[in-house]
Amino acid sequence: MTVVIGFEGSANKIGVGIVRDGEVLSNPRRTYITPPGQGFLPSETARHHRSVILTVLKEALEEAGLKPADVDCVAYTKGPGMGAPLVTVALVARTVAQLWGKPLLGVNHCIGHIEMGRLITQANNPTVLYVSGGNTQVIAYSERRYRIFGETIDIAVGNCLDRFARVIKISNDPSPGYNIEQMAKKGTQYVELPYTVKGMDVSFSGILSYIEEAAGKMLKCNQCTAEDLCFSLQEILFSMLVEITERAMAHCSSQEVLIVGGVGCNLRLQEMMGVMCKERGAKLFATDESFCIDNGAMIAQAGWEMFRSGQTTELSDSWITQRYRTDEVEVTWRD
Amino acid sequence: MLESFFYPQIRFSSVMYSTQELELFPDRTVTQLLFKDVKNAAELRKNAMEGKINGALINPSMIVSPFQVLVAANKAVHLHSTGKMKTRSLYSEIIYNLSPTNNISEAFKRFGMSDSDSAVLIVLVHLKEETQHMTDIIAKVDGQQIPIEDVSMLTDTAKVKKLYKTTPQEDTCLLDAVVCRMATKDVM
Amino acid sequence: MAVEGTSVALPQFLKKIELIKQGAEARVYRGSFLGKPTIVKERFPKLYRHPLLDEKLTHRRTVQEVRSILRCRKAGISAPVVYFVDYTSHCIFLEDIVGSITVRDHIASTQLSSAQKSPEEHLDQLAQKMGQILAKMHDEDVVHGDLTTSNMLLKAGAESGETELVLIDFGLSYISALPEDKGVDMYVLEKAFLSTHPNTEALFEKLLKAYAASSKKSHAVIKKLDEVRLRGRKRSMVG
Repeated sequence: MTVVIGFEGSANKIGVGIVRDGEVLSNPRRTYITPPGQGFLPSETARHHRSVILTVLKEALEEAGLKPADVDCVAYTKGPGMGAPLVTVALVARTVAQLWGKPLLGVNHCIGHIEMGRLITQANNPTVLYVSGGNTQVIAYSERRYRIFGETIDIAVGNCLDRFARVIKISNDPSPGYNIEQMAKKGTQYVELPYTVKGMDVSFSGILSYIEEAAGKMLKCNQCTAEDLCFSLQEILFSMLVEITERAMAHCSSQEVLIVGGVGCNLRLQEMMGVMCKERGAKLFATDESFCIDNGAMIAQAGWEMFRSGQTTELSDSWITQRYRTDEVEVTWRD
Repeated sequence: MLESFFYPQIRFSSVMYSTQELELFPDRTVTQLLFKDVKNAAELRKNAMEGKINGALINPSMIVSPFQVLVAANKAVHLHSTGKMKTRSLYSEIIYNLSPTNNISEAFKRFGMSDSDSAVLIVLVHLKEETQHMTDIIAKVDGQQIPIEDVSMLTDTAKVKKLYKTTPQEDTCLLDAVVCRMATKDVM
Repeated sequence: MAVEGTSVALPQFLKKIELIKQGAEARVYRGSFLGKPTIVKERFPKLYRHPLLDEKLTHRRTVQEVRSILRCRKAGISAPVVYFVDYTSHCIFLEDIVGSITVRDHIASTQLSSAQKSPEEHLDQLAQKMGQILAKMHDEDVVHGDLTTSNMLLKAGAESGETELVLIDFGLSYISALPEDKGVDMYVLEKAFLSTHPNTEALFEKLLKAYAASSKKSHAVIKKLDEVRLRGRKRSMVG
């Protein structure tokens, strides 16, 4: 039996989760929500995490019915993400590991998403679309690496959605993406926006700058409603994502797709990906919001895999890094 | 056999004219006939304009190969079938499609037969079994029918290069340069 | 003269000829058209897309493809001749480059084949040629948009026994003079190249060297390529 506790706080969600041999025992989380029109800044986010992390840690242990002694390994997010929040969480993980006398493991955030996705869905060897506020990548496993086949060449799709939400002052509660999704359901008119796919990669800065500039005018002149813009933006952004996923699938001859990351909660994205998969006779795997959105258990799960394959992180190596490529990690736990 | 006795200049041997079934329009066949030493160009043109000739009269000096004509004919039949022709009739559309530009009157001027021409390439689009039109047309032309492949001997290469604005890098195959422009002119 | 029932003619034709590839975007067929060996590229509707978006994209890609082909050909870059475009069903009828293989297959088989005396040398020449052709293309301000070794064909040359490189699949192409766009074009190729052909970093470097030597504007492009390579490692996580 191997029990791993995982600490995640690379963006505005702070979560602590406990995993035991493929079973998620607890996974509490808090989200730092800013007022409409505002994004979250590193120092304030770190402050938020500091104020709640010990509470969340306590919840995790209580929900799992475990004591510190029951834990075999302490995993934390090494990166990528925002500097200050990452440091805050790493500090607690290091302290706790030393206090409890347990080995430490620095985990790549993206790989946390992938490993949790694989666990929950039992997908065999899928093409992974990882989409969140900070990342947009199409990943496939090959020879001990999660290789990046396609990605954004500028901003992440979640970032694009979040910034659009700010432009039209959509609430950030529970998340801007969720609110855009709800508004999109009421949209009826399709508005043309730039579509940019370059080979296996996508670019979102063009569509963002276009809509940042045009949205105000379009809404003022009653050319369309905010719901129409939400609807159209989703259709286009998600079409771009489905397209690069399909290209990667064709390239790798893959018959499975796994969507992970916060934007993966979006049902319209899942629906569109499902249509593409159906046409190809492929299978779509997706998780619900407890696992799509950043959480502690996913770090624990990746940590569990790493720990069982013999990895640990020395205290001297337990720094954090804002930039940490998915393909930098040697995936020692898979063939 | 009897026809050859009464109309000695008509030859029904397939060496002279070419036929090609349009793969996209299986009931349509394109027949091309080539004549030199034509003495009644003006009369033929007048007949064509009056609708008495069921074919397109083309200036062969602008033609590099029968394939070029086939490409124009296929496109014309396609546009006719979708109701998107730019000109008024199938045959004028064939002539228009030969041109690298979208200027209709210029196309007729450069690619259509003129009164002073002494050679003509005639294109017919018909049902496979129908040979009557061909017979009628051959009878109307006061000139000598020659094999359609011989059109390359009548090509004014310099004029073609100038009109299609081909580049020196395309010199290795003029037909490719010409056909590519014909096929893409709607979006260039 | 009535021409009826022609809306079914194209699908019927496609059913009769040989389907050689079902890609993500298009089906590719091989057959005879007007007496010539022809490739038909049919862009079919993508059901996951909003119909207005789908029509716009499909049409745009069809148009961009044929535009770029002619532009390349005018500059002496080999690309298949366009015979006919059906804009209603988004089909392009192209010259079939008979007896050609993709550069992808060629590299793969060369690497596998132990019979080849010096595969590195042979592939070096190919890499050089690729660099030269791409430099020419970029100097024409044609950005291919989807450079992979599957989108380049090798055609056995008639006279000298030399092989001719033919570029295909211009659906994502566009016209741009920006070094940024050309740099991304090369970045796309680099990723596709290295992920498809393991251990070819040195070969790709030779390709870039030949590119740099052949293009008058290469310095700015290579600089942008370096920037884009780093970009993935420099993304701001600020939400």
